[in-house]
Amino acid sequence: MSNATLDGAPISIEAAYDHAAGILSAARFPVVAGLATDVAGARAAILLAERLRGAFDHLASDELLADLEAMRSFGMFVTTANEARLRADVAFFVGPGLTDRWPALFERLALDRPPHYSPGAARKAIWLGPKRGEAKVEGLELDATAATEDSLPGLLAAVRARVGGRPIALESATAKRVDALAETLKSAKFGVAVWSAAAVDGLVVEALQGLLTDLNLTTRFSGLPLGARAGAVGVGQVAGWMTGFPPRTGFGRGFPEHDSWRFDANRLVESGEADAALWISAYDGEPPRWERDDVPLVTLAPGGSGPKRGLFIEVGRPGVSHDALEFAQEVSSFVLRKASAPASAPSVAEAIKAIDAKLPESF
Amino acid sequence: MLTCLRGGRVVDPATGTDATGDVYFEDGRIVAKPDGREPDKTIDVAGHIVMAGAIDVHSHIAGGNVNTARLLLPEKHRAIRARLAGTPLSTAKWSTYETGRLYAQMGFTTVVEPAMAPHQSLQTHLELADTPLLDTGALTVLGNDDFLLELLRKGESQQAINDYVARTVEATKSLGLKCINPGGVAGFKENMRVFGLDDVVPFYGISSRQIFQALQKATQAVGIHHPLHLHMNNLGIAGNIETALATIDAARGLPLHLAHVQFYAYGKEGKNGFSSAGAQFAEKVNANKNVSIDVGQVMFSETVTVSADVLKQYNSLAGANPKKGAIFDGDANGGGIVPYAYQISNYYNAVQWAAGLELFLLVKDPSQVFFTTDHPNGGPFTTYPELFALLMSADLRAQVLARLPADVLEQTTLPSIKREYTLYEIAQMSRSGAARLFGFTDRGTLAPGSVADIAVYKDQRDRAGMFRKAALVFKDGVQIVKDGEVSRYVRGKTLHTSPAYDRAIEKRLDSYYDELYGLPRSIFDLPAAALPNHDAFAEVSCRS
Repeated sequence: MSNATLDGAPISIEAAYDHAAGILSAARFPVVAGLATDVAGARAAILLAERLRGAFDHLASDELLADLEAMRSFGMFVTTANEARLRADVAFFVGPGLTDRWPALFERLALDRPPHYSPGAARKAIWLGPKRGEAKVEGLELDATAATEDSLPGLLAAVRARVGGRPIALESATAKRVDALAETLKSAKFGVAVWSAAAVDGLVVEALQGLLTDLNLTTRFSGLPLGARAGAVGVGQVAGWMTGFPPRTGFGRGFPEHDSWRFDANRLVESGEADAALWISAYDGEPPRWERDDVPLVTLAPGGSGPKRGLFIEVGRPGVSHDALEFAQEVSSFVLRKASAPASAPSVAEAIKAIDAKLPESF
Repeated sequence: MLTCLRGGRVVDPATGTDATGDVYFEDGRIVAKPDGREPDKTIDVAGHIVMAGAIDVHSHIAGGNVNTARLLLPEKHRAIRARLAGTPLSTAKWSTYETGRLYAQMGFTTVVEPAMAPHQSLQTHLELADTPLLDTGALTVLGNDDFLLELLRKGESQQAINDYVARTVEATKSLGLKCINPGGVAGFKENMRVFGLDDVVPFYGISSRQIFQALQKATQAVGIHHPLHLHMNNLGIAGNIETALATIDAARGLPLHLAHVQFYAYGKEGKNGFSSAGAQFAEKVNANKNVSIDVGQVMFSETVTVSADVLKQYNSLAGANPKKGAIFDGDANGGGIVPYAYQISNYYNAVQWAAGLELFLLVKDPSQVFFTTDHPNGGPFTTYPELFALLMSADLRAQVLARLPADVLEQTTLPSIKREYTLYEIAQMSRSGAARLFGFTDRGTLAPGSVADIAVYKDQRDRAGMFRKAALVFKDGVQIVKDGEVSRYVRGKTLHTSPAYDRAIEKRLDSYYDELYGLPRSIFDLPAAALPNHDAFAEVSCRS
């Protein structure tokens, strides 16, 4: 059985679905936000946003779009963790927070073993700008170069310059370090750069891709992005085939329009452009960032995370309480996650279907 | 409900029909005219052409690479109009929903996505499941995958390869096998920048020729109806006609389908060192009845090239328009996405356009040649009506020829070709022949018992206009199009085939994935039961 509350007080699930449909259908421009859900939940949510002529956004769109923006304005080299594991003779880690984003990173890459395709070769692992203590990995010799958030872009640009044989003006110890990095990258047979857009600026992603482009003139080098949290990569894919666009897309005119500023859910709510919000956060109940509390809010989240304000409908956790299709970092594709602790709470898709069924026919 | 389409010109090559007549259908199937029963509904289609729903044998409509193209080029597909009632997202440009709507409006009811990577098959199927109005199918890509290359490296038996092929096709729920630059994509990961038929893949020590021959044999041995669907080496390179001719010789008389061959019909004549070898290619096809081709016609338009031939796509990056692209080194093939604009004033593009039409017009047997633009690589599928019109009118071709750069005319035989396709030949290529190519026995024809996928076109002189907007389209007997507009959604089926194999291969794959990737094999498997259309799979029989 599912639980539902209205401003903290229990209500029946049927009344909750009715109330949710009422809030969303009364709005002129509702936003379907959060979108932390699986494939089925994303499909249902995007169809609902289209039906309501609202907008949709994901809670980790900033990270998702940092990678996408680099691709669509410049280009992108990417590979899979599997290829990195089997083939990479140089692993180039860029920026902090990589193991925070993906704790299994080093286990998956298995850099302590020789590459499958060059059994005799030693692997090199280098890290530009790790967090303090992050570059200590048991059984792995990691050559770390310190960088701060401020110095990382400049160092990366210097490395790119040296890879291209262009001069740099840095003090000699740093210049030497940069030269050594550039040499290591150029010596790779198949190198892989690893980064997380959660921890670096979008321009760092673009600079890194520029570096990969240059390296590929003479050797092979690809990238392994650590995808954004809360299912963002999968939701981005679903949005792509359903609408042509990633999240931060609106249907106000009856067809999708994508604008990463205009359809930012946080901005829409804070500015009052959105006059109702459906917040979907099925993994861990992460709440919205907006502070405004006078915009009607419907929350779909796991039990225990119920907000004090607005309407709350408990949903199951994808891959925990019900089977879920999700994008998996370890294989760079969609997979089935079987329920690890099956429970009866509805999935996001089921909850949305129930709300959708209560919308007036004019929608 | 018994429906009768009365008095149209029925063009149905599978039954040898081209005559005025009636077509009856009931409960989603075509039926013979029932004795002693009046139809519940009669639709007067006098002055119209009645054909089976069309089948596209090769169009990139779904999967991770197509989706990357969508996300790479948001500026190229801004939507401009609101949708009609009952068709959510149908005007969201380049979405799966729009794809279904646009195909349906042209009278297409079955489309084959030709490049499904085994490790990404779930995404392909999810996208196909979100493509309304069409029955779909896919081809599974092998030929740069480690497991196969290892089998060949170790000199294992053809039986082992057969089992692997059959198991992969069955597990990924596809219609057969595609092979894309065999070995060349693996070679690119080892920094090879060109890769020919007899080049050897580093580490494995086997040639492209060996790889495709092994897959060709396996496809035949396990009874998959569609012959191996081959994307050859050296796509797009001047002089690559030599590769194509050598590949046809290497097929040794076994069935083989060559994909988008226009991109291989290039000689090195003329001052630009680039000429059409379309005539030479067509002659070879005429002399080799084991070979079928689809053309991959270039249509002058802005488009994007989407291909799992990562080596070729990397080499294309320099000519990207707009200047950006995505290169994905996948577990096996991966993909490369490079936008491009074909221009009528560009010498090379004009030669490509002419070479494609030569192939269409000089291959004598319409069951050996299929229309495609290799959507979106040579142009979007929405240009098919213009393509059909060009095939049906020498005058129309002459008008375009007059606009090409003058030196192109010296490098193609096209101006001398007067052949014009008949409606019957268009139907052979887009209906009966296409069905035979995949072993579909229930479609591509209006014979009783077939699914009631029917396209009705107003007979008019403007053939492009006629094919662009069907007057009526029925899918499984349900009317989905009227006057070129989709009036409602229906859900299509996913067509696939299940060849038999020795299940011992499963165990072997289990330990292979454990050892190589340190992951359970199950994570790569298509969880068909979890798909939103899991109840809509339809089996295509194997050859016995």
